[in-house]
Amino acid sequence: MDYADVAVVGAGVLGCFAARALTAYDLRIAVFESREDVCTGISRANTGIVYTGCDTKPGTRKAQLCAEANRDFGALCETLGVRFSRCGSLMTAFGPRGVVRLEKKLSQGRANGVPGLRLLTPAEVYQREPLLARGATAALYAPGTGTVDPWELGIAAFENARANGAAFHFSEEIQHIERTTGGYRLETSRRTCAVRAVVNCAGLRADAVRELVKVPTIRIFPAAGDYLVLDHDLSDLLRHVIFHEGEAGKGLTLVPTVDGAILAGPTDREPGEDWAVSPEGLEALTALCAQVVPDLPLERVIRSFAALRPSPRHVRRENRVWTVDPRAIHDFTLLEEDGFISLLGIKTPGLTCAHRLGELAAEAAAHFLGNPGKNAGFDPRRSPPPRLHGMPETERALLVQRNPDYGEIVCRCRDVSLGEIKEALRQGASTVDGVKRRTGAGMGRCQGGRCIQRVIETIAAEQGVPPALVCKDAPGSAVLTGDDGKL
Amino acid sequence: MENFDLLIIGGGAAGMAATAAAAPRCSVLLVDSEPRLGGILNQCVHQGFGDGCTGPEYAAALIQQVEASGVSVQTSTFALQLFPNRTALLSRRSGVFRVGFRRCLIAAGCYERTIGALPVSGTRPAGVFTAGTVQRLLCDGYPVGNRILVLGSGDVGQIVARHLVQSGRQVLAVVEQRNRLGGLARNRRDCIEAYHIPVLLRTTAEVLHGQGRLEGVTVRHLDTGARQVIACDTLVTAVGLIPDRTLCQAVMENSALPGWLGLCGNCDYVHDMVERVTAEAKRLGGEFGRMEL
Repeated sequence: MDYADVAVVGAGVLGCFAARALTAYDLRIAVFESREDVCTGISRANTGIVYTGCDTKPGTRKAQLCAEANRDFGALCETLGVRFSRCGSLMTAFGPRGVVRLEKKLSQGRANGVPGLRLLTPAEVYQREPLLARGATAALYAPGTGTVDPWELGIAAFENARANGAAFHFSEEIQHIERTTGGYRLETSRRTCAVRAVVNCAGLRADAVRELVKVPTIRIFPAAGDYLVLDHDLSDLLRHVIFHEGEAGKGLTLVPTVDGAILAGPTDREPGEDWAVSPEGLEALTALCAQVVPDLPLERVIRSFAALRPSPRHVRRENRVWTVDPRAIHDFTLLEEDGFISLLGIKTPGLTCAHRLGELAAEAAAHFLGNPGKNAGFDPRRSPPPRLHGMPETERALLVQRNPDYGEIVCRCRDVSLGEIKEALRQGASTVDGVKRRTGAGMGRCQGGRCIQRVIETIAAEQGVPPALVCKDAPGSAVLTGDDGKL
Repeated sequence: MENFDLLIIGGGAAGMAATAAAAPRCSVLLVDSEPRLGGILNQCVHQGFGDGCTGPEYAAALIQQVEASGVSVQTSTFALQLFPNRTALLSRRSGVFRVGFRRCLIAAGCYERTIGALPVSGTRPAGVFTAGTVQRLLCDGYPVGNRILVLGSGDVGQIVARHLVQSGRQVLAVVEQRNRLGGLARNRRDCIEAYHIPVLLRTTAEVLHGQGRLEGVTVRHLDTGARQVIACDTLVTAVGLIPDRTLCQAVMENSALPGWLGLCGNCDYVHDMVERVTAEAKRLGGEFGRMEL
């Protein structure tokens, strides 16, 4: 039987940050992830917005965490070697109702301690965003809003947690948990592991994992949203994150990503676990984009995808019948129950707060374990792998001189070299999507058409497996498969 | 830094023909990102290029002309960026370096429009390829699936459908939203009719199914609205080629190309016949070889 002080269940962005925060203590940490890589669930699809907290109800845990996290986000990204752009945001109004809404957000934001908030006149709005549809009556400017690549952030936390001693076990689903005298015994698909405490960051399955040992209290209902991605050379068109809410409801968020692409979405759908893009969502998004930024070149859309967010609700047992509270829980929930710590229903601004939530979960675990000492070797810094796109010429030349793989371009759309792909594989990528999330290869306008063969060949060669076994992401998603052809 | 009168980026039919035409008149550097010259000709193993040649045969003739002209050729070399001061940043395994030039022709061809640009809903499974990617995978001997739907019936769609059938796969249908097949009449005859490939006209792909690998595609008839799910493990899209002018962006002058820069071949516009590409590129290569700049 294996042993660890704390088991973290789930290696999404939350699990990775919880693991990282736990490694700051003198504890043995084991992370169990059912999938083959980090960030494959809720963290897989996200707007990447770093929120200021002006959207959040004052006095909630969420409001406090978000304001703190936003303030410190630049420093966090610096420490982890993650790209971060504090581009600011405009929340727009196109009529009297909108202005009332903005005024409410402004006072809410001020109550939450969000700095720099200001209502802009229409002239100021168009000075900042000339392409925005005519007719804006005001906008709430939040200079603190930023964008980050959510995969890059999660992967950085993972790499740093691993470097500080956390043991990550991928493709190991938790099948059973049992309370023992000393803590908990976990059974995964591959091992049994005795631990003293559990930090449950299982995302959409966090309720199910908790209910392996506890009575239900919160159930998580997944809610899907659709997104569009526009080509990555359009960043000149938008400078800020745009939060648009029409007078009649139906909002749209537009995000200039750190890669220079524009992300539009998400749409709101009724709860239901479905990673599939909905036709209604696609239609709504295109219509809204055309309405909010009429000159947005929609012929430059290169991808659409769907994301899942948790929608947590209380459940109760009344007269032997379980009932679900129809209202969604809006605040973050962190439960500490006999050393079983659960982060439940962490949605927007979960990415912004992931680091702080991880710290809180780690503190709860440490407290339960009688405040263990600090890990003297803990180093919060992570040096990022080389990213050639945008690298100064001389630096790039030096890198290629040291390692010729960096001179060989594999992804032409995003200027990704063979060296970067091999480094991603060394850092734990094992699939085509794992390489994509770490390097950007395949995310451009040809969507991997020109690089997928080379990426698969590289994965196969580095892992010593036939190309036919290389998967897009989850098991069962082999790309080069079929009855014929040589292997 | 090495200097050339003419830099030609892309060693497909257009780049090679332009090189051969310009070579007698000036110093030329031809760069290509692939290990060998030929561009997409190398993956077009069917006949139909020039006088009954296959793509690689047609390429071989042009490669011979390039070699005979004695110009500098750098393969496995990727042009990263052009600068207004008429230098280019090139990357290869042996280093990252700049070259200077007086004139430049971009013959970088096209990239393919993908399913991501279409209003297709559903999941995003493995097994969805563009036609060019599939051609190349087939040439390199990789399996790409067994039961295949082809979306788009232009020349590319028809030719790839035949290629798939010839390599022992089942093409369930070629799906086309117009009321007739696209492309050249000879491709209709030699690819679709000769191989009895089913065609669904006035039909479009609407939803992808499957969590890991593709399991099916919902197609919809545009007139009747009737939907059917076609079970398949692979979808090959041939829904358009887009000239790859990424390199122009950094040197545009008031949204026009500077006088020293030209576009050549499919990078200029999409051609239906390689003979036309070659003829135009020869003319343009000659012109750029003579041009005083």
